[in-house]
This record gives sequence, structure tokens and C-alpha cells, in this order.
Amino acid sequence: MIKLEGIDTYYGTSHVIQNLSLEVDTGEAVSILGRNGVGKTTTMRSIIGLTPPKKGRVLINGTDVRGWPPHKIVHLGLAYVPAERHIFPDLSVEENLILAQGQGGGDGDWSLDKVYEYFPVLGQRRRSGGTKLSGGEQQMLAIGRALMGNPTIMLLDEPSQGLSPILVAKVASIVSDLCSQHGITLLLVEQNFRIALAMAGRHYLMGTKSKLQGEVRSQEIIEDQELIKRTLAV
Amino acid sequence: MFAITVDIILNSLVLGGIFVIMGVGLNIIYGLNRVMNLAHGALYALGAYFGFSVVAVGGNYFLALLIAPIIVGILGLVIERVLITPMRKRSMIYTLILTYGLMFVIDGLIKFFWGVETRFIHLPEFMQGTVSLGSASYPVFRLVILIGIAAVVAALMLLLGRTRLGINMRAASEIPEMVSACGVNVRGVQISGFVLGCMLAGTAGVLAGPLFTVFPIMGHDMLISSFVVVVIGGLGSLRGAVIAALMIGFVQTLAEFFITEMAMVIVYMLMALILVIKPLGILGEGKFE
Repeated sequence: MIKLEGIDTYYGTSHVIQNLSLEVDTGEAVSILGRNGVGKTTTMRSIIGLTPPKKGRVLINGTDVRGWPPHKIVHLGLAYVPAERHIFPDLSVEENLILAQGQGGGDGDWSLDKVYEYFPVLGQRRRSGGTKLSGGEQQMLAIGRALMGNPTIMLLDEPSQGLSPILVAKVASIVSDLCSQHGITLLLVEQNFRIALAMAGRHYLMGTKSKLQGEVRSQEIIEDQELIKRTLAV
Repeated sequence: MFAITVDIILNSLVLGGIFVIMGVGLNIIYGLNRVMNLAHGALYALGAYFGFSVVAVGGNYFLALLIAPIIVGILGLVIERVLITPMRKRSMIYTLILTYGLMFVIDGLIKFFWGVETRFIHLPEFMQGTVSLGSASYPVFRLVILIGIAAVVAALMLLLGRTRLGINMRAASEIPEMVSACGVNVRGVQISGFVLGCMLAGTAGVLAGPLFTVFPIMGHDMLISSFVVVVIGGLGSLRGAVIAALMIGFVQTLAEFFITEMAMVIVYMLMALILVIKPLGILGEGKFE
């Protein structure tokens, strides 16, 4: 379970997140929808500890982790897939996966073989350097690397970035299946509401300065397609 | 002619090998910590002196090869904790000046504890004398040191290529933030890299001691040569450092053989030439800057 209580986060001197509170229940799949630059990524970085909030509480399963170093937060069962993927260029596919192995502290049984089973293309390219992969393969590797830690909570930042619509749909369905099969709590950040609909059941609508403009269920968006535009254009 | 060729090739490998160990150590420290360690030559000298002392108190050369790098490594840990950690968030200039000062402190300590006279590391019986290679002959101790260098380089490659720590180090030299977001204590990896680099300097010192004798400022020339290696190879590139080290080892040996006084001039001219053609070094991608 993730619970943010009134966090304030600065990026350098700019006050990106102002008094943000939100909640993701265990086993739930939730998205944060918003335009570029409203602070979606900073929200993720606040949770994982890469840009620690100056105020408020970041509760992971009830423990306040604000100010903890990222690796200790990961040990509580978190995994982070950044929008840029951040595949280590000088490491092979296999080494990228080994790096994260077992770090999430969960009791899952993710292994190289199991990741290759879900993403056969990674198995075929396991000796290749990280940057020799295509965008889609890099996204799969980033997700595979996150899974290697046996996480119970996954933070997924804009999986659609730089991918073709077909690939995005494929990645989205794989991740959704994975999370529901393995009981992984998912917090997703997106600009594209179709992907958010495909992956999450509940959605926070984020406006400028990370102000939440509302919270909707997938059903409400399906019934009223203009809802997102109306709310987020403000 | 054959004898001279054998001599030059083996001597280049020995000198180049020492440069490899020094250059890779400097690059590991830089790649992980963004610290240009100007005390690297002084740590090399310390390694040689600790090696000398281990042998002087009754140990043998191989024991010295094991113990001296460990002592230098522990010292490296202290340096990291006391001098480098407090400067971590500041510009690289701070650690540049700090390690420059440290170099003189270590020079002074060496003169204080060991004196200014030249020391000789006493080698075991079997390493004295020469071995014949066809019509050529070569000093046994140089051959043994060459094998030692090869062993150190092989161990280093195994560490970096096959162990979890090695993978973490390579990853942390590229995207440190993501290493910690994968659950690895990246500060621990950075500190390990600093200590490893210092241990390599110490190891190079013990290996080089019998070759060039042991004297207080023996690290000065070596520091400059290591920089030449790192600059030619490309800042932060381990493969580049290996190629550059072997190349400089060969050029310097060849130049010393034919025109001794001009040897270093030729090395610097080569560096200038390479930098004109490839400003970031042979394998430099400039990704660290």
C-alpha cells in the first residue's frame, strides 16, 4: 500500500509538488493522468526516494519512508520503471537483470529464466549490450529488471513514451496480466488516457503544480470521454 | 637482434602492465566518484614502501604483494571517509585540490618514516639471475613480475566482468541513480570503487618496486604517466586505459632504448597528436562530463 500525506517536493529551487495526498491500496492498479510537466515523474521520484519530499509523509505499507535512501525503500518491495528506462548501456541484458535480482525483499520467485519466459526476446538477446536494444525491447528489459527484485509494488512511469501504439498495447497487457497474476500493486503515470484505462481501474487527474483535479473510475471515463479533456485542460 | 627484440617486447609489457594497473585504478575512482585522484602516485609509492617493509621485517616478496595493497586499501577507505565524502556534493575542484595536498602529505610521511635514501626490495633467491629464452636472456624477477601483473589484470577482469560487485560498479559509473533505484546501496559501491582503485595503486607500487627501486618521489613520474594513459585512453574508459597503457609502455620502452633523453618528450608528443585527432581519447565518449 502506498499513501502520500501532504508531501512537498522541490526540484532544485522549483516547488514542483505542493501538498499532494493520494493512496493506492494493496493489489490495486491506479494511474495518475496529467499533462507534461505537472509533476507526475516527481511524484514517482518522491515515493522511491530519488527526490525526497521536504514535508509530509510517504507511507509504504504503513512505514514512513520519507528521507530514506532509495535502495532501502526498494528493499520494502518497491520497483521503479522510469520513463527513460535507464538501461545500463555498458551492461548486457543479463547483467542488467542480475543487478536487481532479489533486491525487493519479496518472496516471489523471479529469475532470469522466468523473465525470459515472459519476454522471449530478452532471452534471445541476453548477451547484447543494453543500448543495442530497440525501444520496445528496452521497455521490456526495464520491466523485467523491476520484476527481478520480486516487488510487491511497481511504479511505472509513462510506459508509452517512444513506443509505437501496437507495442504500447502489448506492453500494457503484459504488465496488467503480470500484476494481477502476482498480486503486484501498480502505480502508473501517463499522459495517454487509453493506456491508463487499459492498465488501471482508478485514476487521479493531476493539474499544474501537482494539484489533483479529481479522481475517477475507468467506467466514468468510458461513459464520458470528454471528462479528461475538460478536467485537465484547466 | 633477437635478444634486443625480446628485451624490448618484454620490457614494454612490464611497463605497460604497470600503467594498466595504475590507469584502470584512476579510472575506476573517477568513473564511480568523479574524483581525479592526484594522490594516486603517492599511494603507489606507499605500496612500494609497505612492500619493502614487509620484506625487511622477514616476510617474502609475495607476502608483501598481498599485504601492502590491503594496507593501502584501508588507508584509501580512511581517505574516502574523511576527505572525499564531505566534498561529495561539491565541484570536482575541491577533491582535486584535496588530493593534490594529500600527495605532499604522503610524500612527507614517507620521508619521515623511511628516510630519503633509495631502498631495494629484497627478492627471493629464485628471482635473482636470468633465464634464457633461445639466444636471449632475461632477468627472472622481471618475468615473475610480468606474470604477477598478468594475474592482477586477470583478477580485475574477473571482478569487473563476473561478480555482482563488478556489475554494480560498471552500472554505477553510468547511471548511479538507477543503481540505487534497483535496490543497491550505491554509496557502498562508490566507496568500494575508491578503495579498489587505491589497492590497485598499492599493488602497482609493490610490483614496480624491484623494477625502478623505491624512493620517496617515485610516484610523481608515475602519476604523470597514469594521467597520460587515462587521457589518451579516454577519461573513464577502462578498455581505453588498457589499450593506451600498453601503447605508452611500448613507445616509452622503445624510445628509452634508442634516444633515452627524449623518451618522455616522445610520449607527450604522442599524447598531443592523439588528442588532436581524438580530443576525447581513443575510446572516450565524453559521457562523464
